[in-house]
Amino acid sequence: MTTYTICIFTENTIGLLNRITIIFTRRRINIESLTVSETERKGISRFTIVIKHESREEVEKLVRQIRKIVEVMAVFGYLNDEIVYNEIALFKISTPLGRKSLDVETINKVHKAWVVYWGLDYVVIEKTGNDTDIRAFFDYIEQYEILEFVRSGRIAVGKTEKGLVEYLPEAEWAYYQ
Amino acid sequence: MEAVANAPETLEIPTIPTYINGSHALMQTLVAEGVDTIFGYPGGAIMPVYDALYDFQERVNHILVRHEQGAGHAAQGYARMQRRAGVCLVTSGPGATNLVTPIADAQIDSTPLVCIVGQVAKKLLGTDAFQEADIMGVTMPITKWNYQITSADEVPEIIAKAFYIAQSGRPGPVLIDITKSAQLELMTKPYVYKKCESIVSYRPRMVAKQEQVAAAAELINAAKRPYILAGHGVQIAKAEDELRLLAEKTGIPVATTLLGQSTIPTNHPLYVGWLGMHGNYGPNVMTDQADVIIAIGMRFDDRVTGDASRYIKQAKVVHIEIDPSEIDKIIRADAPVVGNAKDVLEALIPLVHPNDHTIWRNEFRKYDIIENETITVPELTSKDGKIRMAEVIDMLSTKTKGEAVLVTDVGQHQMMASRYYQFRRPNSLVTSGGMGTMGFALPAAFGVQVGAPDRQVVAIIGDGCFQMTLQELGTIVQNKQPVKAIILNNNFLGMVRQWQQLFNERRYSFVELQNPDFITIARGFGMDGQTCRERDDLSNALDTMLAHDGPFLLEVIVEKEENVFPMVPAGASVSQIRLT
Repeated sequence: MTTYTICIFTENTIGLLNRITIIFTRRRINIESLTVSETERKGISRFTIVIKHESREEVEKLVRQIRKIVEVMAVFGYLNDEIVYNEIALFKISTPLGRKSLDVETINKVHKAWVVYWGLDYVVIEKTGNDTDIRAFFDYIEQYEILEFVRSGRIAVGKTEKGLVEYLPEAEWAYYQ
Repeated sequence: MEAVANAPETLEIPTIPTYINGSHALMQTLVAEGVDTIFGYPGGAIMPVYDALYDFQERVNHILVRHEQGAGHAAQGYARMQRRAGVCLVTSGPGATNLVTPIADAQIDSTPLVCIVGQVAKKLLGTDAFQEADIMGVTMPITKWNYQITSADEVPEIIAKAFYIAQSGRPGPVLIDITKSAQLELMTKPYVYKKCESIVSYRPRMVAKQEQVAAAAELINAAKRPYILAGHGVQIAKAEDELRLLAEKTGIPVATTLLGQSTIPTNHPLYVGWLGMHGNYGPNVMTDQADVIIAIGMRFDDRVTGDASRYIKQAKVVHIEIDPSEIDKIIRADAPVVGNAKDVLEALIPLVHPNDHTIWRNEFRKYDIIENETITVPELTSKDGKIRMAEVIDMLSTKTKGEAVLVTDVGQHQMMASRYYQFRRPNSLVTSGGMGTMGFALPAAFGVQVGAPDRQVVAIIGDGCFQMTLQELGTIVQNKQPVKAIILNNNFLGMVRQWQQLFNERRYSFVELQNPDFITIARGFGMDGQTCRERDDLSNALDTMLAHDGPFLLEVIVEKEENVFPMVPAGASVSQIRLT
């Protein structure tokens, strides 16, 4: 199983998320994570979808099917080494009186994580990084009581010099080049 | 058209200083798009549009069907003849869901439709209101595009966009869901119609890249045993002449897919037959002999390839296709050419060298001889037992000189119609190919006749199929369309029965029908008809039908347990085609 990151640039319209995910569902491809945000160009949204698949060919077909959606402007499928990517995780850690105190120095310096909220008997720690970084921090912080843990989907930018949005709307995939 | 679009709304009461409502805007836009025929069925949530339609009766011919599915298939038939979008107008909820089958059918067979469906008022959306169905959600995977209009101001732009998307590139169905409130409310600005000519995120490529065409030409020129497979895309692009010119210049044999039939006359010396599960013997097995396959406007459907992993492994593939997602989908293309078949072939013809592949073409003929001896001749000349389907089609072909438009349903009769009708004119077979929708033929034949009033239209229908949409006899009669319908009645769901015979040891599981008296039904609708039981009566019966002024239903009682051969069993490779 190889991880693929699919970046989709679309017009920002109602129902588009549904239209895109239907294509995955129909081919029985599970979505590992999905993030949507507006790009630097107003009215254009960027979907970052992570999937795992055995066959590059199938992923290419998937990309082409997504490209067919009328509102989709461009689709790029990436392998991990072709992108810079990150995720963000929030940990809600219990800090009742009398419990061993958090080692903030290790949290900050070793794990590059930050306390972003202090509650009465808990704190919220933010950790950004890739899957491995977050997993490592999880393993470390587990010694304290984790009340809640949430991780975002992956966000990614391609490693080419040009910004992807510069390609828009002329951006086309292989057969259009 | 401009003049019409900008014409003042005549029934608008001048004392009200407001703009037109959504329904009138919709009608005006339809007229501006050149729509003169609508297939529809009114209901609560679309009533404001029907009220506006009342004012447009002079300009738009609305045809009241008997069931929304009939509207959809009729619009498909109309669209295939006119080679532009067919328009359906139906209400919300069940009206819209009844359109789902034709929409799916149009999607897989690339037929342009604009389906306008009513929806509950905006403030009722999502409240389980009366006749509310989430038709956007339902049709999202089976439309080329769909959109929900919730304000009157959106109407002109969205409808123009709907026609552009439905008709451009690879055509397909578009659904526009329009809330009742948007139909009723007044626009807040003057009505302006502007034709949609491009969409930033949707740019179908029509003219191929020159290097792709050159690469294709190179493969074709070097080929020893080239073979053209022509599909529906040739017909959609009106590229019949270009296909013929390419074949004639290069001497390359041409086979067609089911939907590609009639793109080249069946008596053309380069035409070798049609492909597929029940296609001709030679065209199927010879795919394994070709060194270059030139696929034009076709998508390697599983009914064409059989087991795709064993299909044309030895050949280089030139794939000319307008939809990039079809390239490499089933069969890897060595020379993909993305573009409209007509434009691509125009560019390709000057680059290919004249050639003569007579020896290669003759190899097809030895299979033809076998097919003729084992299947065709016995089916056409057997004098014992009941009438064979083949005889009916063959005689019809002779009597209509191969110039009728055949509209077929799905099953054995569909395959027999394709096997035995000798098509002479382009765009002469309308059938449900990809979806295999039973009940397609009768309403589609009606739409075909409306779309091609000067052509002889004959629907070939099975007894099972007929009972799925027979209510459209009413539409045919009310609209006085001279559709001729032939029911090939074997009292069986014949194709399923054939499979059960061949693959399930004759365990006939729910395939025998107790049929009504079809002619009494036709007469009940006010349509003439007759039943033909004997071989000796067939010729007269067909003459009566063809000479009849107006619609006519001919029921032919055919052999009960006839099988369609050749046959590539499901999952087998095309070389494992069975003759018996």
